[in-house]
Amino acid sequence: MDFEPNEEQRAIALAVDNLLAQHAGPARAIELEREGSYDHALAAALTEAGFLGARLSEETGFLEAALVVEAVAKAGGVVSAAAESLVAPGVAGRSLEGPVAIARAGEDAPIRFGDHARTLLLDAGDEARVVILEPDWREPVRSNFMTPLGRIRVPEGAGESLGAGSGSRLRRWWRLALALDCLGALEAALDITVEYVKRRRQFGRAIGSFQAIQHRLAQCAVQVEATRWLCYEAAANGAPEEACAIAAAYATDTAHHVFRETHQLTGAMGYTREHDLHVFSMRLEALRVELGGTAAHRRAITRSRWAS
Amino acid sequence: MEFSWPEDDARFRQALRDFLDETLPDDWEEISRHGPGSDDQSSFSRTFCARLAERGWLTQSWPAAYGGADATPWRHAILSEEMWRCGEPRGSQYMNVNWIGPTIMKYGSEDQKREHLPRISGGDVLWCQGFSEPEAGSDLVSLRTLALRDGDDYVVNGSKIWTSYVNGAELCFLLVRTDPESKRHKGITVLLAPMDAPGVEVREVPAVVGERYFHELFFRDARIPASARLGPEGEGWSVVSYALAYERVGAMRYARAGLTLDALAAAAAERGRLDDPAVQEKLGAARAAVEASRLLSYRVIDLRARGSEPTADTNIARVAGTMCENAVSNLALELFGAEALEYGTFAESYFRLAMTAGVAVGTTEINLNLIASRSLDLPHE
Repeated sequence: MDFEPNEEQRAIALAVDNLLAQHAGPARAIELEREGSYDHALAAALTEAGFLGARLSEETGFLEAALVVEAVAKAGGVVSAAAESLVAPGVAGRSLEGPVAIARAGEDAPIRFGDHARTLLLDAGDEARVVILEPDWREPVRSNFMTPLGRIRVPEGAGESLGAGSGSRLRRWWRLALALDCLGALEAALDITVEYVKRRRQFGRAIGSFQAIQHRLAQCAVQVEATRWLCYEAAANGAPEEACAIAAAYATDTAHHVFRETHQLTGAMGYTREHDLHVFSMRLEALRVELGGTAAHRRAITRSRWAS
Repeated sequence: MEFSWPEDDARFRQALRDFLDETLPDDWEEISRHGPGSDDQSSFSRTFCARLAERGWLTQSWPAAYGGADATPWRHAILSEEMWRCGEPRGSQYMNVNWIGPTIMKYGSEDQKREHLPRISGGDVLWCQGFSEPEAGSDLVSLRTLALRDGDDYVVNGSKIWTSYVNGAELCFLLVRTDPESKRHKGITVLLAPMDAPGVEVREVPAVVGERYFHELFFRDARIPASARLGPEGEGWSVVSYALAYERVGAMRYARAGLTLDALAAAAAERGRLDDPAVQEKLGAARAAVEASRLLSYRVIDLRARGSEPTADTNIARVAGTMCENAVSNLALELFGAEALEYGTFAESYFRLAMTAGVAVGTTEINLNLIASRSLDLPHE
């Protein structure tokens, strides 16, 4: 047991933060959202540095890949880092050409990166399939949730099967991936709100000095910290089924809680496009309904731990 | 970062479980349902701790100089987990090992160390803690129990309340004010007070949380020898801060919650309710809360293992621990329904044990205050 990053992990975190400071951030996310674009420039920079795809997990480990995914999410990056650096190597054992989207077969709902994806990881029940997408299988979906969405319609039986039982492997890594996407956005949303209540003055004092506000943010901090360790442990241990379901259930429950609290405490300012909060808060709500949402993750915990 | 147990720690845990299987009596489950302050559990703790001491496990985390084995905080956490898991057969003696002993090591005189440490490490002495007062709960520094020096003694007047583990206790880790003019943190002193001193009276405060759970202590011109003072006069706040930093995650309460939850799932399965999606959701949510509590407690152990000063991580772990206990105990009542209303049943016993979680050892609100100031750096004003 050791909860401090080692030298290599610190070096990776520092390098990826430097790169993200140049190429990502909420302002960039807002600009891309206006254009309806994917951040190909950020993806290229991350790939060049070895931070996107299977290389990181192969050379160092899944925990290191998880740290990068978290950092990208915290910087508001519009790239499919979680799918490319965790799910693809975890399920297919290799890099897949990005952007990578993940979807459940038979559903017509919008999916993240659906209009930009080159590759689709498809949860087809017992098996997972890798589908190389044709451009006319995709269509954009207008959305306010600060993450590019699209619908993908693939012909029956398209793509390559990853074998019997690969479906549950996909769901494990998918759950961990979306928990880590939550984690980064949670940290950013909480940081933004803590800074806001320190500066915002009403009644002659910073509103962050009121206990009514302090307790709510402290409660958020407890849940964000717990999310962090649940994610790290699951990643370090190779994404065990129960741990991944727990990370997803806890992270998405926290996502919804933090969404409500941060918007309440930033008042009208938090709803505006000039304030950074919405980049992260809206994504939190998008993440919490993915793959059946918190309720489905909770049921998955129970099936994994106690079903005979 | 590394999230797995080294082999020797895993072996220790197994040895401990084997020992518990051999040592706990057949009716232990029954005994533990009355709560750690009950007559049965208190008296059992004396024989149990003595046997734990024989194995060298009771105070393994203490320095070798005081009869310990310099075991790592991780090793100590395993002990605490396994004890809480089965209902804390050490009774109140976990306090002795976790913080009373270490605080005496840090602040005690040589005589005090000789007098108290071997008895604690031998496992047959019971202590209680005299902190809260009728007018000093969360705001502990407003305590008023007065101890005035008279020759070789302190003469103590005042009262303490909500005192746990008084049943059979020989000694009290007592907070008093030695300077009647002093305010707040200043002028507080710690006395290692014998409970049989004349002028000390104990009264049970009957409560729904368990037998012999709360007590009031009355001090009426009670004479406590000055040699029982721990640390310098007026410096008691430093002493108690040191002690409390140890206490807040001393009890690995999620371990009990986790085992209880497994039993609840088994009971749900027996009743054919494990396929009910609503039950599955609640079990899953509670399981996530248990794991969150476990990892945040481990974070505190990790910091302690590095010799870090206490941080708000301790308060964070405590709040998550309360969330975990609430989730499991709510579910216990919901799953068992009206059956859980009968005293001493499985669900009722856990509900009763868990209901003090957000209040004991510092309320949730105090923990949130400390997280806000120490971790989020929010302004005071």
